[in-house]
Amino acid sequence: MRPSNARRRPVIGQRGSGRQDTAGVLALGRKHRPDYWLVILCAALLSIGLVVVYAISPALAQASHVSTSHYVGKQFLAISLSIVAFIATAQVPLSVWRQFAKPLLIIAGVATLLALALPVNPAYPAHRWVRLGGSLSFQSVEIVKFAVLLALAGFFTDRIARGWLDDFNKTLKPLLIAVLVAGIFIAGPQKLHAQSDLGSMAVLIAIVGAMCFVAGLPLKRLAMVVAVLAVGAALVILPSQYRRERLATFVHPESDCQDAGYQACQALIAVGSGGMVGLGLGRSVQAYGYLPEAANDSIFAIYAEKFGFIGCVILLGLLAAFFSRIKTVAERAPDDFSRLVVCGVLAWLSVQAIINIGAMIGLLPLKGITLPLISYGGTSVVFVAAAVGLVFQVSRYTTYTAPSGTINDRKGNQRHENRHDGRRLRGAYHPDPSGRA
Amino acid sequence: MALPNTNSTANSAALGAHRVRLWYGALLLIITIFGVRLFYVQIIRYSHYKSAALSDQLKQYEIPANRGIISARDSGQLIPVVLNQKLYTLYADPVYIKNPDTVANKVSAITGGSASKLADMLRTKHTRYVVLGKKLSGDQNKRLLALKYPGLGTQGQDFRTYPQGDLAAQLLGFVDDGGQGRYGLEQALDQQLKGIPGQLRAITDIRGVPLAASRDNTEVAAKKGDDIVLTLDLAIQQQVQTILQKSVQSTKASGGSVVVMDPRTGAVKAMANYPSYDPAKYNEVENAKLFANAAVSEPIEVGSIMKTLTTAAALDKGVIAPSTTYYDPSSWLVNGFRITNIEEDGGAGTRSVADILNFSLNTGATWELMQLGGGSINEKARTIWHDYLINHYLFGKPTGIEQGYEAGGYVPDPAENGAGINLTYANTTFGQAMTATPIQMAAAIAAAVNGGTYFQPHLVDQTIASDGTVTKKAPKVLASNVVSAKVSQALIPLMQNVINKHNIIPAFDQSQYIVGGKTGTAQIAKPGGGYYSDKFNGTYLGFVGGDSAQYVIAVFMDKPTNGGYAGTAAAQPVFASIAHMLIDESLVTPKTK
Repeated sequence: MRPSNARRRPVIGQRGSGRQDTAGVLALGRKHRPDYWLVILCAALLSIGLVVVYAISPALAQASHVSTSHYVGKQFLAISLSIVAFIATAQVPLSVWRQFAKPLLIIAGVATLLALALPVNPAYPAHRWVRLGGSLSFQSVEIVKFAVLLALAGFFTDRIARGWLDDFNKTLKPLLIAVLVAGIFIAGPQKLHAQSDLGSMAVLIAIVGAMCFVAGLPLKRLAMVVAVLAVGAALVILPSQYRRERLATFVHPESDCQDAGYQACQALIAVGSGGMVGLGLGRSVQAYGYLPEAANDSIFAIYAEKFGFIGCVILLGLLAAFFSRIKTVAERAPDDFSRLVVCGVLAWLSVQAIINIGAMIGLLPLKGITLPLISYGGTSVVFVAAAVGLVFQVSRYTTYTAPSGTINDRKGNQRHENRHDGRRLRGAYHPDPSGRA
Repeated sequence: MALPNTNSTANSAALGAHRVRLWYGALLLIITIFGVRLFYVQIIRYSHYKSAALSDQLKQYEIPANRGIISARDSGQLIPVVLNQKLYTLYADPVYIKNPDTVANKVSAITGGSASKLADMLRTKHTRYVVLGKKLSGDQNKRLLALKYPGLGTQGQDFRTYPQGDLAAQLLGFVDDGGQGRYGLEQALDQQLKGIPGQLRAITDIRGVPLAASRDNTEVAAKKGDDIVLTLDLAIQQQVQTILQKSVQSTKASGGSVVVMDPRTGAVKAMANYPSYDPAKYNEVENAKLFANAAVSEPIEVGSIMKTLTTAAALDKGVIAPSTTYYDPSSWLVNGFRITNIEEDGGAGTRSVADILNFSLNTGATWELMQLGGGSINEKARTIWHDYLINHYLFGKPTGIEQGYEAGGYVPDPAENGAGINLTYANTTFGQAMTATPIQMAAAIAAAVNGGTYFQPHLVDQTIASDGTVTKKAPKVLASNVVSAKVSQALIPLMQNVINKHNIIPAFDQSQYIVGGKTGTAQIAKPGGGYYSDKFNGTYLGFVGGDSAQYVIAVFMDKPTNGGYAGTAAAQPVFASIAHMLIDESLVTPKTK
């Protein structure tokens, strides 16, 4: 009976039935006020990105001979689409998304293969884009991330429910195979017409790893997987001249500023020349052709040049606050699936942010991935917003008393009525049967 | 069965929440590390990265200075002769031109020209730069920029314009596309006209285009080149050009040059050559020889006009007097060659110094050289005459007039060289076997008639610096006591006599003015040695004035073919026309005593 029910939300109540605290049970399945901080922080980050893109759009427009409103216009369109995506993922119940995971995975696979098969833009020779004609195109890897997120959450929930988490053959093995297959297509060398997108692969692996970790996979097994992955990474990096150079320039970026280390050097120059307070919004120079991908991968460096150390601290603070909200939602997720989804989103966004910012400040190798919500780029913004929408949905069903019974028992009953931040779990005392799903 | 499962879920959830916190803790740690790193990069290493940024971004540019303009006087009023005008070059990057036909149609509507040709250029592959139009006006530039086609741009550049057309073209020279003065005044005074370029240190984009808003931009303004006021009198210049052109055409000469100079200062009042060219279209000139200002750059064997200077030298040495007469045998044998006169001069007989100039006696000039040597052409004669040629009349080296490519001419060395040096020197007394330019002849005769002071011929009257400071150019004396004042006074009537005896119509009123001159019909050396028997250059050297000579005029006519002796038939009319013009236009002050 459990396995079939585990897919539906009412199971939350059922799981709660094993507990003594009936007030907590009532709270578990309740829809309450969602965490609007998620939306506020999300909007703040999007606005920062938009402002930076707007400020450097004269430089971008000049470089590609389009009107100055071209980039801001496209970003506005992307943000509009992302609002639609956000509402869709926030409103359509997670259970539906869970069922939709497999078809989505298939769509993501098809999109990846399509990107490999379609002709490329000579300016960007990697096969990463699916062109739908006209100016309509998207980066297939973003769908892959989204699909993998949902599929993995479903997979782990199922394995937890079946108690197969510790079973190597049932859990880790299929996972490793899937990651390997995805890795060949996404991170494989360009010679084989693969996407050669090591950055996105790292994000994908981070999502998988983080979900394995929070799903509760034994640490020994995880350590083993990490070792395997390290070997795999070495195998991917070492045969490619391009990546070896990137790795070498990562270690000593300023040794080769004219060639392989150019972007790394220019990024550091942009960040460093920002100083304490930055050059000011309209005064970025590095965006005028010096720093490649100023609006996308390198946007953090441009932001740092404009707003300086103070601005960077504010941005890092906003990101930390944003991740903190997602973490809180994950901690209090009402069930395994939603918890895993939220953890996956946290892993996705945080790893991408770390890899991106780390590269700009010379702590990590350049990977060519976007800074979530800030970077210019429609596909990224839309799918990140969709992911945040999932978290937002889960935030409606969080519970303070959560399934962590032992901790609760120790701290007493009162706590479930008021969250630690003083916010009441509304609806707990005013059940509205008609509102139940 | 349900219960243990639920517990395992709950446990896994608790474990999960724990691990989420672990993950989050790691995340916060990384963000903190990032913050520390940012502090290091942005605060501690700020100056390093700032200077690295500036070394990339800060570029230095030269701001071209406005070239000085050139003007001259016309009856006392300053008239611009050379001005600057900003013109534009239209270029395109074909990569960004989406509809070549549309763009070509719109562009050709503004610039003129064939739209289909432009469209073909816009379709050019493998290039990012095609020039669609040159020397477009400011108005055309505005209209082109208003089209706002991506990939289309204009580049402004200063060009010289010539409000007086081809007036004094070779004297002025031109400025090439690289901003370099070529030929004439533009070449000689290039640095002064060019000014000092300014410097712009500016933060630029990667292509080097300065960004407008930057605190680090510094600019050193360009210092405009000096404006120049010429000594030329435009009225005289214009008339001289017209007279010269008519004469060259009517005498079917290959060309001609005229210099009109004020002997009291060395100021050149007019300097013309024909044929000439339009400096505004210098790039359409096929024969580069046209660029040269022959009046300063083409030394020739000047012929008999030299006899005036020979006579002045002999008078100055005191070996002859204006009234001296001598027996002329009608030929001299020098180094085995016979020096003769033209048939019309008659045979042997007693001749005067005045006759030497009037009949243009080669034997007379040779006799004067003999007098310098104490009766024969010898080393003493050669040395003294050479000293006059080189140190008094300053032949054999450029005068230093403000002109490009000035030539110095040639004076043979007086030392015995076993190749008939006495014959060579006899020849120099009547303007053969040596060369000089019109400006050199004008300057030398000026010194001979003005009392003996050799003023450097010059074209610049004043310079006006960018700050408005006017510097008047003082006449520069290159040699004094060229001849004594007495000799100078004696030479004038000798030359007036030549005019009076030559039946110039209309005649000059010597009671009101002094007009003197001397013709020259110069043999032209063959490249292989010897002279052409059928080709001559006509020359004339004269002056016009009142109490003293006010203008000296040198006329060189290149191979006129209208018959007669070239000096009399081709060059003398030019002189006469100019002298009459000067008198008629009241440009000559009449005698007061």
